[in-house]
Amino acid sequence: MTVLDNRVVSPASETEAVDPRDPQVRLAALLDEGSVRPITPEDKSGVRAAMGRVEGVPVVVFCSDARFQGGAMGSEGCEHIVHAYDVAVRERVPVIGIWHSGGARLAEGVESLHAVGRVFAAMTKASGVVPQLSVVVGPAAGGAAYGPALTDIVILADQGRIFVTGPDVVRSVTGEVIDMAALGGPEPHSKRSGVVHVVTKTESEALLQARRLAVLLGHQGRIRAAEVEDIDFSDLLPESARRAYDVKPLVKGLLDEPGVELHAKWAPNIVTTLGRLGGRTVGVIANNPMRLGGCLDATSAEKAARFVRMCDAFGVPLVVLVDVPGYLPGVGQEHDGVVRRGAKLLHAFAEASVPRVTLITRKAYGGAYIAMNSRSLGATKVFAWPTAEVAVMGAVAAVRVLKRRELAAATEEERPALEARLAEEHEKVSGDLGRAVDLGVIDEVIEPATTRSAVAKVLAQATPARGAHGNIPL
Amino acid sequence: MAEVRAEMVANVWKVVAAEGDTVDEGDTLVILESMKMEIPVLAEDPGVVAQLRVKEGDVVQEGDVIAVIDE
Repeated sequence: MTVLDNRVVSPASETEAVDPRDPQVRLAALLDEGSVRPITPEDKSGVRAAMGRVEGVPVVVFCSDARFQGGAMGSEGCEHIVHAYDVAVRERVPVIGIWHSGGARLAEGVESLHAVGRVFAAMTKASGVVPQLSVVVGPAAGGAAYGPALTDIVILADQGRIFVTGPDVVRSVTGEVIDMAALGGPEPHSKRSGVVHVVTKTESEALLQARRLAVLLGHQGRIRAAEVEDIDFSDLLPESARRAYDVKPLVKGLLDEPGVELHAKWAPNIVTTLGRLGGRTVGVIANNPMRLGGCLDATSAEKAARFVRMCDAFGVPLVVLVDVPGYLPGVGQEHDGVVRRGAKLLHAFAEASVPRVTLITRKAYGGAYIAMNSRSLGATKVFAWPTAEVAVMGAVAAVRVLKRRELAAATEEERPALEARLAEEHEKVSGDLGRAVDLGVIDEVIEPATTRSAVAKVLAQATPARGAHGNIPL
Repeated sequence: MAEVRAEMVANVWKVVAAEGDTVDEGDTLVILESMKMEIPVLAEDPGVVAQLRVKEGDVVQEGDVIAVIDE
Protein backbone atom coordinates (compact mmCIF):
# COMPACT_ATOMS: atom_id res chain seq x y z
CA MET A 1 0.00 0.00 0.00
CA THR A 2 2.72 2.37 0.91
CA VAL A 3 4.50 1.39 -2.26
CA LEU A 4 1.56 2.74 -4.26
CA ASP A 5 1.26 5.94 -2.30
CA ASN A 6 4.93 6.69 -2.66
CA ARG A 7 4.97 6.13 -6.35
CA VAL A 8 2.04 8.22 -7.48
CA VAL A 9 3.39 11.30 -5.79
CA SER A 10 6.61 12.33 -7.46
CA PRO A 11 9.63 12.63 -5.17
CA ALA A 12 10.27 16.21 -4.11
CA SER A 13 13.96 15.87 -4.80
CA GLU A 14 13.47 15.49 -8.56
CA THR A 15 14.18 18.67 -10.42
CA GLU A 16 11.77 17.98 -13.25
CA ALA A 17 8.20 17.41 -12.07
CA VAL A 18 6.73 14.10 -13.26
CA ASP A 19 3.52 14.43 -15.25
CA PRO A 20 0.95 12.35 -13.31
CA ARG A 21 -0.72 11.54 -16.64
CA ASP A 22 2.42 9.78 -17.87
CA PRO A 23 1.46 6.10 -18.38
CA GLN A 24 4.84 5.08 -16.98
CA VAL A 25 3.87 6.67 -13.66
CA ARG A 26 0.50 4.92 -13.63
CA LEU A 27 1.87 1.54 -14.73
CA ALA A 28 4.59 1.74 -12.08
CA ALA A 29 1.99 2.59 -9.44
CA LEU A 30 -0.20 -0.38 -10.40
CA LEU A 31 2.40 -3.09 -10.88
CA ASP A 32 4.95 -4.73 -8.59
CA GLU A 33 8.21 -2.83 -8.39
CA GLY A 34 10.52 -3.64 -11.25
CA SER A 35 8.01 -5.94 -13.00
CA VAL A 36 6.92 -3.60 -15.83
CA ARG A 37 7.78 -4.91 -19.30
CA PRO A 38 6.43 -2.68 -22.12
CA ILE A 39 4.76 -4.52 -25.02
CA THR A 40 4.10 -1.41 -27.12
CA PRO A 41 6.54 1.30 -28.27
CA GLU A 42 6.89 4.76 -26.75
CA ASP A 43 4.87 6.73 -29.27
CA LYS A 44 2.18 9.39 -29.58
CA SER A 45 -0.67 6.91 -30.10
CA GLY A 46 -2.25 7.84 -26.76
CA VAL A 47 -1.96 4.27 -25.42
CA ARG A 48 0.80 2.31 -23.69
CA ALA A 49 0.67 -1.35 -22.78
CA ALA A 50 2.86 -3.58 -20.63
CA MET A 51 3.09 -6.94 -18.97
CA GLY A 52 3.81 -7.02 -15.29
CA ARG A 53 2.95 -8.57 -11.96
CA VAL A 54 0.59 -7.78 -9.10
CA GLU A 55 1.70 -9.47 -5.88
CA GLY A 56 3.50 -11.86 -8.16
CA VAL A 57 0.41 -12.59 -10.29
CA PRO A 58 1.07 -11.91 -13.99
CA VAL A 59 -1.23 -9.37 -15.67
CA VAL A 60 -1.41 -7.32 -18.86
CA VAL A 61 -2.08 -3.60 -18.53
CA PHE A 62 -2.85 -0.87 -21.01
CA CYS A 63 -3.07 2.78 -20.11
CA SER A 64 -4.33 5.91 -21.84
CA ASP A 65 -1.62 8.47 -22.48
CA ALA A 66 -3.51 11.68 -21.77
CA ARG A 67 -0.47 13.79 -22.66
CA PHE A 68 -1.40 13.34 -26.33
CA GLN A 69 -4.77 14.65 -27.53
CA GLY A 70 -6.26 14.04 -24.09
CA GLY A 71 -5.72 10.30 -24.48
CA ALA A 72 -8.10 10.16 -27.44
CA MET A 73 -8.23 6.80 -29.22
CA GLY A 74 -6.83 6.66 -32.76
CA SER A 75 -6.20 3.63 -34.92
CA GLU A 76 -2.65 3.19 -33.64
CA GLY A 77 -3.60 3.42 -29.96
CA CYS A 78 -6.51 1.04 -30.50
CA GLU A 79 -4.16 -1.46 -32.14
CA HIS A 80 -2.05 -1.34 -28.97
CA ILE A 81 -5.14 -2.20 -26.88
CA VAL A 82 -6.08 -5.06 -29.21
CA HIS A 83 -2.49 -6.30 -28.97
CA ALA A 84 -2.68 -6.16 -25.16
CA TYR A 85 -5.84 -8.28 -25.33
CA ASP A 86 -4.17 -10.78 -27.67
CA VAL A 87 -1.32 -11.20 -25.19
CA ALA A 88 -3.66 -11.49 -22.18
CA VAL A 89 -5.82 -14.13 -23.87
CA ARG A 90 -2.77 -16.06 -25.09
CA GLU A 91 -1.22 -16.03 -21.61
CA ARG A 92 -4.60 -16.49 -19.88
CA VAL A 93 -3.94 -13.63 -17.46
CA PRO A 94 -6.14 -10.74 -16.26
CA VAL A 95 -6.11 -7.56 -18.31
CA ILE A 96 -6.38 -4.16 -16.64
CA GLY A 97 -7.19 -0.95 -18.52
CA ILE A 98 -6.35 2.46 -17.04
CA TRP A 99 -8.60 5.02 -18.72
CA HIS A 100 -8.15 8.75 -19.20
CA SER A 101 -9.47 9.49 -22.67
CA GLY A 102 -11.87 11.77 -24.46
CA GLY A 103 -12.97 9.00 -26.83
CA ALA A 104 -12.28 8.50 -30.53
CA ARG A 105 -9.79 10.83 -32.29
CA LEU A 106 -11.91 13.32 -34.21
CA ALA A 107 -9.18 14.12 -36.75
CA GLU A 108 -9.04 10.49 -37.87
CA GLY A 109 -12.75 10.38 -38.58
CA VAL A 110 -14.31 7.03 -39.37
CA GLU A 111 -10.91 5.34 -39.19
CA SER A 112 -10.81 5.92 -35.44
CA LEU A 113 -14.41 4.74 -35.07
CA HIS A 114 -13.51 1.51 -36.85
CA ALA A 115 -10.49 1.11 -34.56
CA VAL A 116 -12.52 1.72 -31.38
CA GLY A 117 -15.04 -0.85 -32.62
CA ARG A 118 -12.23 -3.38 -32.97
CA VAL A 119 -11.30 -2.75 -29.33
CA PHE A 120 -14.90 -3.48 -28.33
CA ALA A 121 -14.83 -6.69 -30.35
CA ALA A 122 -11.56 -7.80 -28.71
CA MET A 123 -13.02 -7.12 -25.27
CA THR A 124 -16.16 -9.06 -26.04
CA LYS A 125 -14.20 -12.04 -27.43
CA ALA A 126 -12.11 -12.09 -24.23
CA SER A 127 -15.21 -11.85 -22.03
CA GLY A 128 -15.39 -14.81 -19.66
CA VAL A 129 -11.99 -16.01 -20.89
CA VAL A 130 -9.74 -13.70 -18.86
CA PRO A 131 -10.81 -11.30 -16.09
CA GLN A 132 -11.02 -7.72 -17.33
CA LEU A 133 -10.71 -4.78 -14.96
CA SER A 134 -11.02 -1.08 -15.75
CA VAL A 135 -9.70 1.79 -13.69
CA VAL A 136 -11.08 5.16 -14.75
CA VAL A 137 -8.77 7.90 -13.47
CA GLY A 138 -9.79 10.83 -15.66
CA PRO A 139 -12.55 11.61 -18.14
CA ALA A 140 -13.68 8.57 -20.16
CA ALA A 141 -16.09 9.77 -22.79
CA GLY A 142 -17.82 8.19 -25.78
CA GLY A 143 -15.81 5.18 -26.93
CA ALA A 144 -13.68 5.42 -23.81
CA ALA A 145 -16.86 5.07 -21.73
CA TYR A 146 -18.04 1.93 -23.50
CA GLY A 147 -14.60 0.33 -23.24
CA PRO A 148 -14.71 0.04 -19.45
CA ALA A 149 -18.44 -0.74 -19.60
CA LEU A 150 -17.71 -3.93 -21.56
CA THR A 151 -15.33 -5.22 -18.89
CA ASP A 152 -16.09 -7.26 -15.77
CA ILE A 153 -15.35 -4.67 -13.09
CA VAL A 154 -15.10 -0.87 -13.33
CA ILE A 155 -13.25 1.12 -10.66
CA LEU A 156 -13.72 4.90 -10.61
CA ALA A 157 -11.24 7.26 -8.95
CA ASP A 158 -12.28 10.65 -7.58
CA GLN A 159 -11.28 12.45 -10.78
CA GLY A 160 -12.80 9.80 -13.07
CA ARG A 161 -15.80 10.82 -15.21
CA ILE A 162 -17.74 8.47 -17.45
CA PHE A 163 -20.32 9.61 -19.99
CA VAL A 164 -21.35 9.07 -23.58
CA THR A 165 -21.70 12.79 -24.29
CA GLY A 166 -20.28 15.55 -22.12
CA PRO A 167 -22.00 18.50 -20.45
CA ASP A 168 -21.63 20.76 -23.53
CA VAL A 169 -23.45 18.39 -25.86
CA VAL A 170 -26.08 17.64 -23.22
CA ARG A 171 -26.74 21.36 -22.81
CA SER A 172 -26.96 22.07 -26.52
CA VAL A 173 -29.31 19.16 -27.21
CA THR A 174 -31.56 18.92 -24.16
CA GLY A 175 -30.95 22.27 -22.47
CA GLU A 176 -29.95 20.50 -19.22
CA VAL A 177 -27.20 22.35 -17.38
CA ILE A 178 -24.89 20.02 -15.48
CA ASP A 179 -21.17 19.73 -14.76
CA MET A 180 -18.93 16.73 -15.47
CA ALA A 181 -18.95 15.41 -11.91
CA ALA A 182 -22.72 15.52 -11.53
CA LEU A 183 -23.19 13.97 -14.99
CA GLY A 184 -20.66 11.15 -14.81
CA GLY A 185 -18.69 11.33 -11.56
CA PRO A 186 -18.57 9.05 -8.52
CA GLU A 187 -21.92 10.19 -7.10
CA PRO A 188 -24.24 9.28 -10.00
CA HIS A 189 -22.28 6.19 -11.02
CA SER A 190 -22.04 4.70 -7.54
CA LYS A 191 -25.69 5.18 -6.65
CA ARG A 192 -27.86 5.58 -9.74
CA SER A 193 -26.43 4.17 -12.95
CA GLY A 194 -24.70 0.98 -11.80
CA VAL A 195 -21.95 1.67 -14.36
CA VAL A 196 -19.24 1.57 -11.69
CA HIS A 197 -18.52 -1.29 -9.27
CA VAL A 198 -16.02 0.39 -6.95
CA VAL A 199 -15.58 4.10 -6.17
CA THR A 200 -12.43 5.38 -4.47
CA LYS A 201 -11.33 8.67 -2.98
CA THR A 202 -7.96 8.80 -4.74
CA GLU A 203 -6.27 7.49 -7.86
CA SER A 204 -3.77 5.49 -5.79
CA GLU A 205 -6.61 3.81 -3.90
CA ALA A 206 -8.29 2.97 -7.24
CA LEU A 207 -5.09 1.28 -8.41
CA LEU A 208 -4.83 -0.53 -5.09
CA GLN A 209 -8.37 -1.91 -5.46
CA ALA A 210 -7.49 -3.02 -8.99
CA ARG A 211 -4.51 -4.90 -7.54
CA ARG A 212 -6.70 -6.62 -4.94
CA LEU A 213 -9.27 -7.64 -7.54
CA ALA A 214 -6.65 -8.79 -10.03
CA VAL A 215 -5.17 -11.10 -7.38
CA LEU A 216 -8.59 -12.35 -6.28
CA LEU A 217 -9.53 -13.27 -9.85
CA GLY A 218 -6.07 -14.07 -11.23
CA HIS A 219 -4.85 -16.21 -8.32
CA GLN A 220 -7.86 -17.87 -6.72
CA GLY A 221 -5.99 -20.42 -4.61
CA ARG A 222 -7.28 -23.68 -3.15
CA ILE A 223 -9.58 -23.93 -0.21
CA ARG A 224 -8.00 -25.31 2.96
CA ALA A 225 -11.12 -26.38 4.84
CA ALA A 226 -9.18 -27.75 7.82
CA GLU A 227 -7.77 -24.30 8.52
CA VAL A 228 -11.13 -22.52 8.53
CA GLU A 229 -11.98 -21.33 12.02
CA ASP A 230 -15.58 -21.04 13.09
CA ILE A 231 -17.23 -17.90 14.41
CA ASP A 232 -20.54 -17.91 16.26
CA PHE A 233 -22.84 -15.74 14.17
CA SER A 234 -25.96 -16.20 16.33
CA ASP A 235 -25.67 -12.71 17.82
CA LEU A 236 -25.85 -11.10 14.40
CA LEU A 237 -29.58 -11.68 13.96
CA PRO A 238 -31.99 -9.49 15.94
CA GLU A 239 -34.35 -11.25 18.34
CA SER A 240 -37.46 -10.20 16.45
CA ALA A 241 -37.87 -11.91 13.10
CA ARG A 242 -39.46 -8.71 11.83
CA ARG A 243 -36.51 -6.50 12.64
CA ALA A 244 -34.19 -5.40 9.88
CA TYR A 245 -30.41 -5.69 10.35
CA ASP A 246 -27.29 -5.09 8.33
CA VAL A 247 -26.04 -8.28 6.67
CA LYS A 248 -22.53 -6.92 6.00
CA PRO A 249 -21.02 -8.08 9.34
CA LEU A 250 -22.12 -11.61 8.41
CA VAL A 251 -20.54 -11.34 4.96
CA LYS A 252 -17.36 -10.00 6.52
CA GLY A 253 -17.31 -12.72 9.18
CA LEU A 254 -17.78 -15.45 6.62
CA LEU A 255 -14.69 -14.32 4.72
CA ASP A 256 -11.10 -14.69 5.97
CA GLU A 257 -10.62 -10.95 5.77
CA PRO A 258 -12.82 -8.13 4.44
CA GLY A 259 -13.42 -8.63 0.72
CA VAL A 260 -14.10 -6.13 -2.05
CA GLU A 261 -17.77 -5.23 -2.22
CA LEU A 262 -19.00 -4.48 -5.74
CA HIS A 263 -21.83 -2.02 -6.41
CA ALA A 264 -21.99 -1.20 -2.68
CA LYS A 265 -24.34 1.76 -3.03
CA TRP A 266 -26.30 0.68 -6.10
CA ALA A 267 -29.17 -1.71 -5.35
CA PRO A 268 -27.93 -1.99 -1.72
CA ASN A 269 -30.72 -4.44 -0.88
CA ILE A 270 -28.40 -7.12 -2.20
CA VAL A 271 -24.70 -7.38 -1.33
CA THR A 272 -22.15 -8.78 -3.81
CA THR A 273 -18.62 -9.23 -2.46
CA LEU A 274 -15.48 -10.96 -3.71
CA GLY A 275 -13.23 -12.30 -0.96
CA ARG A 276 -11.53 -15.44 0.31
CA LEU A 277 -12.77 -18.32 2.42
CA GLY A 278 -10.15 -20.79 3.61
CA GLY A 279 -7.72 -18.99 1.34
CA ARG A 280 -9.79 -19.50 -1.83
CA THR A 281 -11.55 -16.76 -3.76
CA VAL A 282 -15.34 -16.94 -3.43
CA GLY A 283 -18.22 -14.67 -4.41
CA VAL A 284 -20.75 -13.89 -1.69
CA ILE A 285 -24.30 -12.80 -2.51
CA ALA A 286 -26.50 -11.72 0.40
CA ASN A 287 -29.90 -10.09 0.80
CA ASN A 288 -29.59 -7.05 3.03
CA PRO A 289 -32.74 -6.63 5.18
CA MET A 290 -31.52 -3.16 6.14
CA ARG A 291 -32.43 -1.87 2.68
CA LEU A 292 -35.92 -2.35 1.22
CA GLY A 293 -36.37 -5.04 3.87
CA GLY A 294 -34.04 -7.20 1.81
CA CYS A 295 -36.64 -7.57 -0.97
CA LEU A 296 -35.43 -8.46 -4.41
CA ASP A 297 -36.35 -5.88 -7.03
CA ALA A 298 -35.57 -5.30 -10.68
CA THR A 299 -32.23 -3.59 -10.06
CA SER A 300 -30.91 -5.90 -7.35
CA ALA A 301 -31.80 -8.99 -9.40
CA GLU A 302 -29.88 -7.57 -12.33
CA LYS A 303 -26.89 -6.68 -10.12
CA ALA A 304 -26.79 -10.15 -8.59
CA ALA A 305 -27.27 -11.86 -11.95
CA ARG A 306 -24.27 -10.12 -13.43
CA PHE A 307 -22.16 -11.02 -10.39
CA VAL A 308 -23.22 -14.68 -10.58
CA ARG A 309 -22.34 -14.84 -14.27
CA MET A 310 -18.97 -13.17 -13.72
CA CYS A 311 -18.06 -15.60 -10.92
CA ASP A 312 -19.28 -18.53 -12.97
CA ALA A 313 -17.25 -17.48 -16.01
CA PHE A 314 -14.03 -17.44 -13.95
CA GLY A 315 -14.74 -20.50 -11.83
CA VAL A 316 -15.28 -18.58 -8.58
CA PRO A 317 -17.53 -20.61 -6.22
CA LEU A 318 -20.55 -18.83 -4.77
CA VAL A 319 -21.93 -18.53 -1.25
CA VAL A 320 -25.51 -17.26 -1.14
CA LEU A 321 -26.89 -15.87 2.14
CA VAL A 322 -30.67 -15.76 2.01
CA ASP A 323 -33.01 -13.63 4.10
CA VAL A 324 -35.63 -12.41 1.67
CA PRO A 325 -39.28 -11.49 2.21
CA GLY A 326 -40.09 -11.64 -1.50
CA TYR A 327 -40.00 -9.60 -4.66
CA LEU A 328 -40.83 -5.95 -4.09
CA PRO A 329 -44.47 -5.29 -5.03
CA GLY A 330 -45.51 -2.14 -6.87
CA VAL A 331 -46.61 -0.57 -10.11
CA GLY A 332 -43.18 0.98 -10.54
CA GLN A 333 -41.48 -2.40 -10.25
CA GLU A 334 -43.78 -4.13 -12.71
CA HIS A 335 -43.43 -1.32 -15.23
CA ASP A 336 -39.66 -1.24 -14.69
CA GLY A 337 -39.56 -4.84 -15.86
CA VAL A 338 -39.15 -6.74 -12.58
CA VAL A 339 -40.37 -9.79 -14.50
CA ARG A 340 -37.79 -9.48 -17.28
CA ARG A 341 -34.94 -8.30 -15.06
CA GLY A 342 -35.78 -10.69 -12.23
CA ALA A 343 -35.64 -13.51 -14.76
CA LYS A 344 -31.96 -12.72 -15.29
CA LEU A 345 -31.17 -13.92 -11.77
CA LEU A 346 -33.12 -17.16 -12.28
CA HIS A 347 -31.24 -17.68 -15.54
CA ALA A 348 -27.85 -16.86 -14.03
CA PHE A 349 -28.16 -19.32 -11.15
CA ALA A 350 -29.79 -22.09 -13.18
CA GLU A 351 -27.01 -21.76 -15.77
CA ALA A 352 -24.09 -21.65 -13.29
CA SER A 353 -21.58 -24.51 -13.26
CA VAL A 354 -19.48 -23.39 -10.28
CA PRO A 355 -20.01 -24.93 -6.84
CA ARG A 356 -22.60 -22.80 -5.05
CA VAL A 357 -23.76 -23.11 -1.47
CA THR A 358 -26.95 -21.53 -0.15
CA LEU A 359 -27.55 -20.67 3.49
CA ILE A 360 -31.04 -19.59 4.54
CA THR A 361 -30.50 -17.56 7.70
CA ARG A 362 -34.01 -16.36 8.51
CA LYS A 363 -36.63 -16.45 5.82
CA ALA A 364 -37.09 -17.24 2.16
CA TYR A 365 -40.46 -16.50 0.68
CA GLY A 366 -42.06 -17.08 -2.67
CA GLY A 367 -40.43 -16.39 -5.99
CA ALA A 368 -37.49 -14.79 -4.23
CA TYR A 369 -36.83 -18.09 -2.44
CA ILE A 370 -36.51 -19.79 -5.82
CA ALA A 371 -34.32 -17.02 -7.24
CA MET A 372 -31.79 -17.12 -4.38
CA ASN A 373 -29.97 -20.24 -5.58
CA SER A 374 -32.58 -22.73 -4.42
CA ARG A 375 -32.20 -26.49 -4.75
CA SER A 376 -34.45 -26.39 -7.79
CA LEU A 377 -31.98 -24.08 -9.60
CA GLY A 378 -29.14 -26.51 -8.92
CA ALA A 379 -27.54 -25.41 -5.64
CA THR A 380 -24.63 -27.67 -4.67
CA LYS A 381 -25.83 -27.61 -1.07
CA VAL A 382 -28.61 -25.82 0.77
CA PHE A 383 -28.10 -25.12 4.47
CA ALA A 384 -30.50 -23.44 6.89
CA TRP A 385 -30.05 -22.06 10.36
CA PRO A 386 -32.53 -23.49 12.91
CA THR A 387 -34.50 -20.22 12.93
CA ALA A 388 -35.09 -20.24 9.18
CA GLU A 389 -38.49 -20.31 7.53
CA VAL A 390 -39.24 -21.28 3.95
CA ALA A 391 -42.68 -20.56 2.55
CA VAL A 392 -44.61 -19.31 -0.44
CA MET A 393 -45.51 -16.24 1.58
CA GLY A 394 -45.74 -15.17 5.21
CA ALA A 395 -48.21 -17.26 7.22
CA VAL A 396 -50.69 -14.42 7.87
CA ALA A 397 -50.78 -13.38 4.22
CA ALA A 398 -51.20 -17.04 3.24
CA VAL A 399 -54.23 -17.72 5.47
CA ARG A 400 -55.88 -14.51 4.28
CA VAL A 401 -55.93 -16.12 0.86
CA LEU A 402 -56.43 -19.78 1.80
CA LYS A 403 -58.97 -19.24 4.60
CA ARG A 404 -60.72 -16.24 3.05
CA ARG A 405 -64.24 -17.66 3.52
CA GLU A 406 -63.64 -18.85 7.06
CA LEU A 407 -62.27 -15.45 8.03
CA ALA A 408 -65.13 -13.62 6.32
CA ALA A 409 -67.67 -15.69 8.27
CA ALA A 410 -66.16 -14.66 11.59
CA THR A 411 -67.26 -11.50 13.39
CA GLU A 412 -65.02 -8.44 13.41
CA GLU A 413 -64.07 -9.13 17.03
CA GLU A 414 -63.24 -12.79 16.46
CA ARG A 415 -61.28 -12.26 13.30
CA PRO A 416 -57.80 -11.21 14.58
CA ALA A 417 -57.60 -14.15 17.00
CA LEU A 418 -58.85 -16.59 14.36
CA GLU A 419 -56.34 -15.22 11.87
CA ALA A 420 -53.49 -15.65 14.34
CA ARG A 421 -54.55 -19.23 15.15
CA LEU A 422 -54.90 -20.19 11.49
CA ALA A 423 -51.54 -18.59 10.72
CA GLU A 424 -49.87 -20.61 13.44
CA GLU A 425 -51.43 -23.83 12.15
CA HIS A 426 -50.42 -22.95 8.60
CA GLU A 427 -46.85 -22.27 9.64
CA LYS A 428 -46.59 -25.70 11.22
CA VAL A 429 -47.68 -27.35 7.99
CA SER A 430 -45.99 -25.28 5.34
CA GLY A 431 -43.19 -23.11 6.79
CA ASP A 432 -41.69 -25.84 8.89
CA LEU A 433 -38.03 -26.60 8.26
CA GLY A 434 -38.59 -30.33 8.81
CA ARG A 435 -40.87 -30.46 5.80
CA ALA A 436 -38.29 -28.61 3.66
CA VAL A 437 -35.65 -31.10 4.78
CA ASP A 438 -37.98 -34.07 4.04
CA LEU A 439 -38.58 -32.70 0.56
CA GLY A 440 -34.83 -32.34 0.03
CA VAL A 441 -34.97 -28.63 -0.73
CA ILE A 442 -32.85 -28.08 2.39
CA ASP A 443 -30.01 -30.54 2.86
CA GLU A 444 -29.04 -29.81 6.40
CA VAL A 445 -29.91 -27.56 9.32
CA ILE A 446 -26.67 -26.16 10.76
CA GLU A 447 -25.85 -23.98 13.74
CA PRO A 448 -24.58 -20.43 13.17
CA ALA A 449 -21.44 -21.43 15.08
CA THR A 450 -20.49 -24.11 12.52
CA THR A 451 -21.33 -22.12 9.40
CA ARG A 452 -17.83 -21.26 8.15
CA SER A 453 -16.52 -24.80 8.40
CA ALA A 454 -19.68 -26.31 6.91
CA VAL A 455 -19.59 -24.01 3.88
CA ALA A 456 -15.83 -24.44 3.43
CA LYS A 457 -16.15 -28.24 3.55
CA VAL A 458 -18.76 -28.30 0.80
CA LEU A 459 -16.70 -26.02 -1.42
CA ALA A 460 -13.55 -28.07 -0.77
CA GLN A 461 -15.25 -31.31 -1.78
CA ALA A 462 -17.14 -29.95 -4.78
CA THR A 463 -15.80 -30.61 -8.27
CA PRO A 464 -14.27 -27.39 -9.59
CA ALA A 465 -16.01 -26.10 -12.70
CA ARG A 466 -16.58 -22.91 -14.63
CA GLY A 467 -19.24 -21.78 -17.03
CA ALA A 468 -18.45 -21.66 -20.73
CA HIS A 469 -19.90 -18.24 -21.45
CA GLY A 470 -19.01 -14.58 -21.62
CA ASN A 471 -20.02 -11.93 -19.12
CA ILE A 472 -22.38 -9.62 -20.96
CA PRO A 473 -22.85 -6.42 -18.91
CA LEU A 474 -26.45 -7.19 -17.93
CA MET B 1 -29.39 20.14 2.97
CA ALA B 2 -29.88 16.46 2.31
CA GLU B 3 -33.31 14.98 1.78
CA VAL B 4 -33.96 11.50 3.09
CA ARG B 5 -36.60 9.77 1.01
CA ALA B 6 -38.67 6.61 1.38
CA GLU B 7 -37.30 3.75 -0.72
CA MET B 8 -40.63 1.93 -0.83
CA VAL B 9 -44.32 2.20 0.04
CA ALA B 10 -44.62 1.71 3.80
CA ASN B 11 -46.35 2.65 7.03
CA VAL B 12 -44.49 4.86 9.47
CA TRP B 13 -44.19 2.58 12.50
CA LYS B 14 -41.98 4.63 14.80
CA VAL B 15 -40.43 8.10 14.67
CA VAL B 16 -37.07 7.83 16.40
CA ALA B 17 -35.38 11.18 15.78
CA ALA B 18 -36.81 14.64 16.46
CA GLU B 19 -36.34 17.96 14.71
CA GLY B 20 -33.23 19.66 16.06
CA ASP B 21 -31.46 16.37 16.84
CA THR B 22 -27.84 16.01 15.82
CA VAL B 23 -27.39 12.79 13.86
CA ASP B 24 -24.46 10.81 12.51
CA GLU B 25 -24.28 8.89 9.27
CA GLY B 26 -26.14 5.64 9.84
CA ASP B 27 -28.36 6.87 12.68
CA THR B 28 -31.98 5.74 12.57
CA LEU B 29 -34.46 8.54 11.84
CA VAL B 30 -37.72 6.63 11.60
CA ILE B 31 -38.71 2.97 11.35
CA LEU B 32 -41.05 1.99 8.52
CA GLU B 33 -43.17 -1.11 8.33
CA SER B 34 -43.57 -2.84 5.00
CA MET B 35 -43.52 -6.41 3.70
CA LYS B 36 -44.03 -7.49 7.34
CA MET B 37 -40.60 -6.05 8.08
CA GLU B 38 -39.50 -3.20 10.32
CA ILE B 39 -37.21 -1.18 8.12
CA PRO B 40 -35.11 1.63 9.57
CA VAL B 41 -34.58 4.81 7.57
CA LEU B 42 -31.05 6.04 8.17
CA ALA B 43 -29.34 9.39 7.95
CA GLU B 44 -26.92 9.23 5.02
CA ASP B 45 -24.82 12.15 6.20
CA PRO B 46 -24.06 13.66 9.60
CA GLY B 47 -25.93 16.85 10.47
CA VAL B 48 -28.94 18.30 12.24
CA VAL B 49 -32.50 17.15 11.57
CA ALA B 50 -34.06 20.30 10.10
CA GLN B 51 -37.43 18.80 9.20
CA LEU B 52 -39.28 15.57 9.94
CA ARG B 53 -42.18 15.35 7.56
CA VAL B 54 -43.86 12.17 8.81
CA LYS B 55 -45.63 11.04 11.95
CA GLU B 56 -46.40 7.57 13.25
CA GLY B 57 -49.21 5.93 11.32
CA ASP B 58 -48.58 7.86 8.09
CA VAL B 59 -48.34 6.01 4.80
CA VAL B 60 -45.37 7.02 2.67
CA GLN B 61 -44.99 6.42 -1.05
CA GLU B 62 -41.70 5.60 -2.76
CA GLY B 63 -39.74 8.83 -3.14
CA ASP B 64 -41.60 10.80 -0.43
CA VAL B 65 -39.37 13.02 1.65
CA ILE B 66 -39.17 11.71 5.22
CA ALA B 67 -36.66 14.12 6.68
CA VAL B 68 -34.33 16.94 5.75
CA ILE B 69 -30.84 16.98 7.26
CA ASP B 70 -28.85 20.21 7.51
CA GLU B 71 -25.18 19.39 7.02
